[in-house]
Amino acid sequence: MRRLLFLLKKEFRQIVRNPFMLRAIIMVPLLQMLILVPAITFGIKRLDLAVTDNDRSPASRELISKLAGSTFFKTTAAPINIAGAGALLLSGDADLVLIIPNDFSEGLAGMTKPRLQVLVDAVNSTQAMLAWSYLTSVVRDYNMDVVMATGAAPSAIPGINTSPRYWYNPTLNYKHFMLPGVLVILIIAIGLMLAGLNLVKELETGTLEQINVTPIRKWELIISKVIPFFILGLLDLALGLTVGWIAFDIPFEGSILLFFACSAIFLVAVLGMALFFSTLVSNRQQYLFVAFFFTMIFILMSGIFTPSESMPRWAQQFNWINPVAYLMRINRMVMLKGAGFSDIARDMGLLSVLAMGFISLAIRGYRKRA
Amino acid sequence: MNAIEAYNITQRYGRVTAVDDVSFSVGEGELFGFIGPDGAGKTTLFRIAATLIIPSGGRITLFGLNVVSNFRELRSQIGYMPGRFSLYHDLTVEENLNFYATIFGTTIKENYHLIEPIYKQIEPFKKRQAGRLSGGMKQKLALSCALIHKPRILILDEPTTGVDAVSRTEFWEILAGLKNEGITIIVSTPYMDEALRCDRIALIQEGKLLGIDTPARIRNSYSRKLYAVSHPDRYRLLLALRSLPQVVSPEPFGDSVHVVLRDDADPAEVKRALEGAGLSGAIIAETVPGIEDVFLELMQKEV
Repeated sequence: MRRLLFLLKKEFRQIVRNPFMLRAIIMVPLLQMLILVPAITFGIKRLDLAVTDNDRSPASRELISKLAGSTFFKTTAAPINIAGAGALLLSGDADLVLIIPNDFSEGLAGMTKPRLQVLVDAVNSTQAMLAWSYLTSVVRDYNMDVVMATGAAPSAIPGINTSPRYWYNPTLNYKHFMLPGVLVILIIAIGLMLAGLNLVKELETGTLEQINVTPIRKWELIISKVIPFFILGLLDLALGLTVGWIAFDIPFEGSILLFFACSAIFLVAVLGMALFFSTLVSNRQQYLFVAFFFTMIFILMSGIFTPSESMPRWAQQFNWINPVAYLMRINRMVMLKGAGFSDIARDMGLLSVLAMGFISLAIRGYRKRA
Repeated sequence: MNAIEAYNITQRYGRVTAVDDVSFSVGEGELFGFIGPDGAGKTTLFRIAATLIIPSGGRITLFGLNVVSNFRELRSQIGYMPGRFSLYHDLTVEENLNFYATIFGTTIKENYHLIEPIYKQIEPFKKRQAGRLSGGMKQKLALSCALIHKPRILILDEPTTGVDAVSRTEFWEILAGLKNEGITIIVSTPYMDEALRCDRIALIQEGKLLGIDTPARIRNSYSRKLYAVSHPDRYRLLLALRSLPQVVSPEPFGDSVHVVLRDDADPAEVKRALEGAGLSGAIIAETVPGIEDVFLELMQKEV
């Protein structure tokens, strides 16, 4: 036990003395919070809408001005021919092209059925769907105006009127969705990168060999690496959360204690993974490659950007061993929905099992080495 | 009881055999040297002795304790200094020493007498980070750290490689002092001249021991008459000697060239031949073989 104390003293001394480490610990949460949270959004701000108006009637102009007046679109005029409109989509100057046929106003007057054609750049399918639904909502609005102009009372128009209430994130603010996820990435950056590199450095510079001829036990060495980065990770999480709070005024519905408890379990899992990876490599370059590779897989599969429920079945099964997926879910539940212990107990339990699994892999990996 | 008993130690890495059936024993308080070129297997052998790797074959005991099964008891009795500087660069001299002392459950004060002659020389720099020390000072710090827990045996892997000549001499004087304290020392070196300072030496080449004996007896084991030839133009001398049929194996050695003559050849005849080749004033005289000569001879026998 006394030996462990001396080892810890040495670790903290080295961390405090390493200017890079100190900078990383301060800068990583600041930058991640202030850059990632506001930058990553799936809300689509301004789509470039090119309009080919073959009708040139008051009716078509009214539709165009309605579109231009909406916050979703920036409208431009497009060439009359369809080839020209296609070129705009190809060059990326337009995200969607609306073609108003020359019999549009006649149709509105009741001679024919009025029709519109929309071409959508669907390289990004999410954006295409949103563009389409924004456009149809504006057109539906316009349609309503046209009907009302004929003198019919709104109530006389048949149709179901749905009015949504957005729960847990009433203003559909994307930052509220991203911030809990970015906090998870923050823990990985500190836990997986800094802790793993620290141990691999000892391997690379030979200090580990010198340690191995002393009476220090394997578990003492592992614990002496886990504890400092465990503390640093939680401190950084607190810092990140504070920055997020101040900068974005994120609501925190649930218990902070529960939030930190879950993050602590996750941190142990990440540190176990870091130490396990470090037993598989022989230098820092290799470690970085392995850590980067798995970090990317774990994060992208976790449901940070896209709901994991819509992933293929095997991907969802993979998430059973993906610690990031658990905390991603827990964080959003606790922070946004105010979930309590009983709501997340299952995820917490599975995450704990995973954490113990990674730590024992790390200890076993080290035994093999000596 | 001997300090080290090694029986048939073998270490294989895939197809490569780094240490090949090596047996030796080292008495308590002995200063024992392993002499051999790079890649001869010295480091592997030392790492086995230091409980760091388990040999593929054979058995080795230190003070009667097996390095594989009794490694835990042994570790507090071993002071190991790897070939590469392996202390913490970002800790100061004093912090490094203190760290190793506390890890072994002791203090600098308790064993200060043991490290004093070495540590005194680096003590003025005790607040300096170890990474910023010179090569000689690093080596002294590493030795201090290996000694601070008062080990019974020191395992020093090429401690003088990459260290200047003055520091090397100093270092061997320190080792002689430690030997007087009763500490058993095994040390490896690629420098033949350092071998003379050991009680006994083992010549090692390609994982095999070529011979073990005192430096004097090793030198005497040289089987043929050895001559030293010298001339101011050493390069031309070497070329000329190589072309002479009477000369078996010319090897440059310090200021001269060491040669062995064919059984029927006469040194005066060689001198004449050299003069005929334009190297007038060449001196040829019988000389005492060095460790290096023995080494080269043993290597040729192996082939």
